[in-house]
Amino acid sequence: MQDWSKLYDAIVDGDDKTSARLTREAIEAGEDPSALISDTMVPAMAEVGRLFEIEEYFVPELLLAGRAMKAGLELLRPILAASGVEPTGRIVIGTVKGDLHDIGKNLVVSMMEGAGFEVIDLGIDVPPETFIEAIRDKKPQIVGMSALLTVTMPAIKTTIDAMVAAGVRDGIKIMVGGAPVTEEYAREVGADAYGENASVAATIAKRLCAEAKAA
Amino acid sequence: MNRSFYIDLANRGLKMPMGTDIVLNEHPDPEAIRVDGRRLGDVMIEAARRYRTPLALPQMNLTLEKDALLVLMGLDGGAGEFHFTAPPSPELLARFEAGLKGPLTPECEANIEAIAHVARSSDLVPLGMCIGPFSLMTKLLADPIMPVTLAGMGNSAADNAEVALMEAALDLSTRLVLEIVDRQIKAGARMIVVAEPASNKVFFSPKLIRRGSDIFERFAMAPNRKIAALLKENGVELFFHCCGELIDEMVEAFASLDPAVLSLGSSRVLWQDAALVPKTTILYGNLPSKKFYSPTLFTRSQVSDSSRELIARMREIGHPFILGTECDVLHVPGCECTIRDKLDAIMEAVAV
Repeated sequence: MQDWSKLYDAIVDGDDKTSARLTREAIEAGEDPSALISDTMVPAMAEVGRLFEIEEYFVPELLLAGRAMKAGLELLRPILAASGVEPTGRIVIGTVKGDLHDIGKNLVVSMMEGAGFEVIDLGIDVPPETFIEAIRDKKPQIVGMSALLTVTMPAIKTTIDAMVAAGVRDGIKIMVGGAPVTEEYAREVGADAYGENASVAATIAKRLCAEAKAA
Repeated sequence: MNRSFYIDLANRGLKMPMGTDIVLNEHPDPEAIRVDGRRLGDVMIEAARRYRTPLALPQMNLTLEKDALLVLMGLDGGAGEFHFTAPPSPELLARFEAGLKGPLTPECEANIEAIAHVARSSDLVPLGMCIGPFSLMTKLLADPIMPVTLAGMGNSAADNAEVALMEAALDLSTRLVLEIVDRQIKAGARMIVVAEPASNKVFFSPKLIRRGSDIFERFAMAPNRKIAALLKENGVELFFHCCGELIDEMVEAFASLDPAVLSLGSSRVLWQDAALVPKTTILYGNLPSKKFYSPTLFTRSQVSDSSRELIARMREIGHPFILGTECDVLHVPGCECTIRDKLDAIMEAVAV
């Protein structure tokens, strides 16, 4: 494999145009898409996550890097799909019913995609039945729910309860997050994991997926 | 009513949670009250009496202005989820400008009438309330962070469509907020709360700001300077509120608006922030009221301890201070008693 460190740098620097150009060059050079993702792009997003953790990067840099990652991934996805390569895992995600905030959720989407997941983003104000429908249709390993407000946070529990009642809870791992959500709250409502921020959420998702595959 | 009135209140140990939403939701028909100016004014009075403050605070409903803006443009389908994907057309802008001359939405009109009602029928100081222009703009776009960041990296509206859209949305937001503030002044508001929670480090990269980018000044501060100037012209004071996560440079920028009161979120250490703010600006806050719904996350005794510490520390450094909450205390169904109990703890707090 050629040295694609400039692609790595483009993602870390949040330069989507360079990321797309270099990915195109890599494809033309016959580079293995899976290797490009796992050896260059995912490590780049991991570095972005690390810089965020140490407060050298902030949310805007995280989003820029996510956009640069996406610019490359969009070119690789059709090739991966054609060759039958599976993503790290599949995640259905949304902001719960009554909550119109999506910045946190979008950040998580960005980091999850950066970690190699296929993300099905249900958007904001998502009722329990839409989550349930998506679980049945898309068969994700993980469902992520976000709430920004204390007044909308109870919808996380309502949604999990509805999943249990619909019989779709057992086959999935549930991750929750958002400003008022805590580890304790996640446990109380029956979630499997709590992500304190987008970077941590991606790491936890990888662990949950690995556990699910090992089980 | 001059600045010394408010500073005197602070120096006499005023404690004042933002509890209007809690009081509003104790009524059997809060939704009906929200569109009835007289009754809404009565709720402001009721909240001020309960929390023993001469300042009558309105509810902090930061969805009103977006609703109003879309209704004025005839785009009132599902305001919460609506986002502009292109700068508004000349026809939409003309409709918006024409609409600004008439009545706004029933909720906005009720807020304005509530201020007039407080001014007419009580001895309280009526406060107005509106969202800040930058925060309103963030509600109008699906992705407001990226264009701000792109602008910070040197892209201009002329060469980047996302930046152009953001600037157009910010212009609209500023125009509407100035109109609402003007109407609240005319209704008798003596001080106006400008709630600008999005002017924080989620939307503005500290990395870019520290590298010398002027994005915070251009997009967060410049529109608020227009509001501050309008208030000053009319002898009305500014109560500037931002509960987001901030860096010191942001606090200093807010202080440069010369607000009578600066209200910050619980992520800030007020006795340290006092060094960034002139003594002519009262610091307000900043108990973590977003956690008040939970019996365990921030207990009553933690509220009491933090209140006592805040009072004592602020007294020690000699900065005017009003003990309060980091934000409007929202009613959470099923948690009313827990929340009210903590608001009572604030009112009972005395310095150690």
